[in-house]
Amino acid sequence: MIHAYKNNGYNIVLDVNSGSVHVVDDVVFDLVKIIEDKLKRTYGTAAAPEGQTTVITGELDRLYKGVLAKTDLASKYSTEDIKEGIEEILELRAAQVLFTDDVYEGYVDDFQNRETVVKALCLNVAHDCNLRCKYCFADEGEYHGRRALMSEEVGKAALDFLVKNSGGRKNLEVDFFGGEPLMNWEVVKKLVEYGRSIEKEYDKNFRFTITTNGTLLNDEILKFVNKEMGNIVLSIDGRKEVNDSMRPRAGGQGCYDDIVPKYQKVAESRHQLRYFVRGTFTHANLDFSEDVKHLAELGFKQISVEPVVASPEDWYAFKDEDIPIICEEYDKLAKYYIEKHKEGKGFNFFHFNIDLEGGPCVAKRLSGCGSGCEYLGVTPWGDLYPCHQFVGNEDFIMGNVFDGITRPDIRDMFKKSNVYSRPECQKCFARYYCSGGCAANAYNFNGDINATYKHGCELQRKRIECAIMIKAALAE
Amino acid sequence: MKHVKSLITRNLKESMKKGGCGECQTSCQSACKTSCTVGNQSCEQLSK
Repeated sequence: MIHAYKNNGYNIVLDVNSGSVHVVDDVVFDLVKIIEDKLKRTYGTAAAPEGQTTVITGELDRLYKGVLAKTDLASKYSTEDIKEGIEEILELRAAQVLFTDDVYEGYVDDFQNRETVVKALCLNVAHDCNLRCKYCFADEGEYHGRRALMSEEVGKAALDFLVKNSGGRKNLEVDFFGGEPLMNWEVVKKLVEYGRSIEKEYDKNFRFTITTNGTLLNDEILKFVNKEMGNIVLSIDGRKEVNDSMRPRAGGQGCYDDIVPKYQKVAESRHQLRYFVRGTFTHANLDFSEDVKHLAELGFKQISVEPVVASPEDWYAFKDEDIPIICEEYDKLAKYYIEKHKEGKGFNFFHFNIDLEGGPCVAKRLSGCGSGCEYLGVTPWGDLYPCHQFVGNEDFIMGNVFDGITRPDIRDMFKKSNVYSRPECQKCFARYYCSGGCAANAYNFNGDINATYKHGCELQRKRIECAIMIKAALAE
Repeated sequence: MKHVKSLITRNLKESMKKGGCGECQTSCQSACKTSCTVGNQSCEQLSK
C-alpha cells in the first residue's frame, strides 16, 4: 500500500508498510499508482517476491507497453522519462522500500496476548478547577460527578498499586492532572516525595509530569517542578481574545495576562525543553494557525495546539464544512514552521513531530496508547478507569487503587483493541502513526472503542501529510 | 536516481526483531490527552 500526495510543491510517496518516504518528480508521481495496480493484477500483490533484490528482466518492457496502451502519459512525457521512471520504481520495489506488504497482523496478536503491566497513571488529584473553560471535557473539573481533591492516602495507594502491577518495567509515568492539580499542590508534593522514597527499594524510576492552567503557579512551585518533573504542560489557547473567551475564570475574567509571563518564565527556566504550551482550537477559532504563530512569537519553542473533541450539539464543535478549512490552516502552519526553521528561529509543534527514521517499533505503532491496560486514570477517591477520558462514565470503572483491577474483562477488551480490530484503519495510510486513534473518542462518538472518530481521522491524516512534507522541505 | 529522492528508506518490519519491550512512554502522557499520536514518540531502546 502506498500513499501518494502533493503538498507545498512536493510530490510525496509514502510506502505505508515499510515507512519509507520518497520525494518524486511528476513522471514517477503519475506512474506509481498505475504500476502498483498493474503489478497487483499480475501477481496478486505489488510487493517484490521474497528474496528478489533485482529487477526481473522483461518486467520493465512489459510495464512500459502496458502504460502506453492504457494511459496518455506518452503525450505528457518522453519515452526515456517514462522508462526511467518505471525502472526506478522497480528498483525501489526490489529494495523493499516500495509496495511492501502488511505482514504484521499475526505478530500484533502475539504481542497483545502477552502479560501486560501497568506503566503509567493519570492521577486526577483535583476534581475541581478555578477556570470555567467552555470546552472542558472534564466538566469544569467535576467529571460529571462531585468536586473532590485526592487525599495523600489515596495518592500513595495509587503509587503502590502502580509499583505492584508494573512487573519488570523500570520507568513508571505519573501525570498529575485534574481539574487543576495545583489546587491540591501539597498532596502533589507529598506524592512526589513518597514516590522518590520507594524508587530504590523497588528498582523503579518515577517520571512525574503535571498539566496545569498556570493560574496558581508561583516560584516555589516552579522550583519543585523543575527539580522533579520530566514535563510540564501549560494550558493556553493562543491569542489573548481567543484564550480569554474560552478560558475564563469563575468570575468571567480572562487569565491570559496572568499566565503568559509565568509560562515564559517556566520555558526559560527549563531551557526551552521538557515543557509544552498546550492549547485547544474550536469552531470559534478555525484560523488557529494564528494562535500557534502567536505562541511562537511569545518565544515558546514547544507548542501544541489541538482540535477540540466535542459533542456535535456543542456550539464550538467542528462541523463537516470546517474540516477543509482546518486542513488549509495546517498547510499554512506547515509553511510558517518551515520558514521559521530555515531562519534559525524554529519551534516544535507537537502534532508535526514525526520521527520517520526512528520512532516506536511496529508493535507499539499497531497496539496503541495502552489505555485500559498499561495506562489508567485514577479519580480523587481511587477508582480506576481505562484513561482520563473515560473518568465519569461508571460503566468503565475497572477497580480501585486499594483492591486493584476487579474488572479484568474491561482490561482485556482494551488489550485486544488495535489497528486490526478497527475495520476503517485497514484502508488508511496513517495507521502506523496514530495506531488506530483514541479509544475514548471512538467510544464517545460511536459507542464502540473499536470504531473510529471521523473528524479526528481526517485531521490526523492531514497532519501526517504536513509533517512528512516538512521533513522533505527541511532536508533540502 | 534521477526521478526519485528517497527521504527515508527503512523497513518497519525490522523492528519486529527487537521491538515490543514496552518501555516507551505512554503517548497520552506527553502533551495531547485527546488524540493517539504514537508516531512522534521515541523508542526507549534507540534513545539509550
